[in-house]
Amino acid sequence: MRQGRRWIRLLAIEAGALVFLLAAPRFLERGTLNDIWNVAFAVILASAWNLLGGFAGQVSIGYSAFIGIGAYTTALLALKGVNPYATLPLAALLAAAFSFVVGLPTFRLRGPYFTIATIGVSEAVRVIAGGVSFTGGSSGLRMPAGSFDFNSNYAAMVILAVGVVALAAWVKASPFGQALAAIRQDIDAAEALGVNSTKYKLLVHALSAAIVAVAGSLFAINFQYISPGSVFDFRLSLSIVLMPIVGGLGTIAGPVLGALLVGYLQIKLLSSPGLRDSYLFIYGGMLIAVMLFEPKGLLGLLLRLRRFLWRFPSRPVPDAG
Amino acid sequence: MKELTAILVNSLLAAGLYATMSYGLAVIYGVMRIINLAHAGVLMLGAYATFTLNSRFGIDPFLSLAAVIPVFFGFGVLLYRTMVRRLPRSQAGPSIESLLLLFGVWLVLQNLAYAIWGGDTQSILTSYTMKSVSLFGVRVGVPSVAVFAVSAASLLVLQLILRRTYLGRAIRAVTQNRDAALISGVNADRISAVAFGIGTAFAGAAGTLLATMYAFTPDFGRSFLLKSFCIIVLAGMESVAGVAAGAFLLALLESVVGGYTTLPTSFQDALSFTLLVVALVAFPQGLLGAFGRVTSRHRSIP
Repeated sequence: MRQGRRWIRLLAIEAGALVFLLAAPRFLERGTLNDIWNVAFAVILASAWNLLGGFAGQVSIGYSAFIGIGAYTTALLALKGVNPYATLPLAALLAAAFSFVVGLPTFRLRGPYFTIATIGVSEAVRVIAGGVSFTGGSSGLRMPAGSFDFNSNYAAMVILAVGVVALAAWVKASPFGQALAAIRQDIDAAEALGVNSTKYKLLVHALSAAIVAVAGSLFAINFQYISPGSVFDFRLSLSIVLMPIVGGLGTIAGPVLGALLVGYLQIKLLSSPGLRDSYLFIYGGMLIAVMLFEPKGLLGLLLRLRRFLWRFPSRPVPDAG
Repeated sequence: MKELTAILVNSLLAAGLYATMSYGLAVIYGVMRIINLAHAGVLMLGAYATFTLNSRFGIDPFLSLAAVIPVFFGFGVLLYRTMVRRLPRSQAGPSIESLLLLFGVWLVLQNLAYAIWGGDTQSILTSYTMKSVSLFGVRVGVPSVAVFAVSAASLLVLQLILRRTYLGRAIRAVTQNRDAALISGVNADRISAVAFGIGTAFAGAAGTLLATMYAFTPDFGRSFLLKSFCIIVLAGMESVAGVAAGAFLLALLESVVGGYTTLPTSFQDALSFTLLVVALVAFPQGLLGAFGRVTSRHRSIP
């Protein structure tokens, strides 16, 4: 019964958000829409990363590689005359294929060792992408003129953002999500119960990589210019990891909260030169604060606050999940 | 033949530096099972500390070690006492929380450097930076010889501390088995603080040494962090000698690739990152497995 109510609430929120965001261009100005675009981009990245990092507990600091694959697939094909939006499926497919190449060796590693390996992979990808000629090297690539229309890009971005959050909720409740949770809690116990951990990790890695790549494609279409420095950047990988952790790892609302906060901060930071120079300080400080004081992130903080305000709950507070 | 000597000499010189840089990471991992991502930030900070001492007060980079080592030791102990210690200690292996916490520390250190020194590329120029000497018929830079000498000396001192003093025995005991060490009356918490200090001091000293050879920015250190990982994964972390062997292996590989192939220099870093992934995967248990394998081999000798 409670489970049913939860689904209805989620669907209502999602539908409301979708209607509002799609109608927004009629009554909001372009600057605000740009901000929404940025936050939607952040929500996609955070929720998609959370599939692997939160649900399955595999923290990867190498997701900018998938953004880069998506962005470059779209840019290179668009330069050959293909409609940019027609390249999205291929971008997703290529990123999923690359996620297998990365995942097959590295998923043999556990916990922090996996994390270090992902730093190694993403650095190698970044260095190679900066050195080969088809990426345009350090001068980058410009999309062909006339391939840009903000409204359609905006619509695609918000639909994807709302869709990814719904997908995450569905994955979490499905047997697939339960297998991932088992892997996160105790990989040996999960294996003993017959969960093929490598298979599930590879699948969820591919799924989240594909989503991130599509977001990268939309990024390329919106900005019309990409370079290895902009899409393979270590800072991008960093903010992707930061958002779900700050919001609340392994939850549905956490990554969205984190993306709202970090996305908003990013917009603020870019508009004030004084703050722009201290974004690493803010990111690092958030990571330290979350790890030391509230490992469940903002969501954990909110839940704690709620419990504090309703000190005499009418029914016992259920455990997480 | 001459080319071969050149490669051997160059990799040996580089290995000294690599070993110093990696040992800082290895001692912290050994005692606490913590992967110290802030290592890269400390390397960078060491380089800048030396830079400031050199440009403001005209202190020779190698003399500045006398200040850098104690200051960074204190910084490491402080870091442990205020943050690392507060995390729940995991028995099985390193926790992702400690990794992310120290990642945050790294970012803060980077921002600190941007705020103090700005984002421009800096380097240290001394009267001997451009000089070279002949070693076994190979021309090598004076700084790299000096760096090797300092590295070798510091590793030797460290080896003596580890083998001959109570502190060293306690560090080795906690590394091998924390619980057994506690039962035998070793104050594991204090030893952890000291080990964090030693690791940080080594990283700071390595930063000083790096600064005499390379230009640096606040973003400096990431590729050296990955190289350090690569080395301790390759070598295991049982001993100073193991780390030195791993350092030599990586340096040799880099020199061979640089000397015999036409791979652009920008790809050489990618090589060590790839090697890192290969090394990690070849030891599926990660560092702990490599560590376990080395210790069990030692134990099998009656």
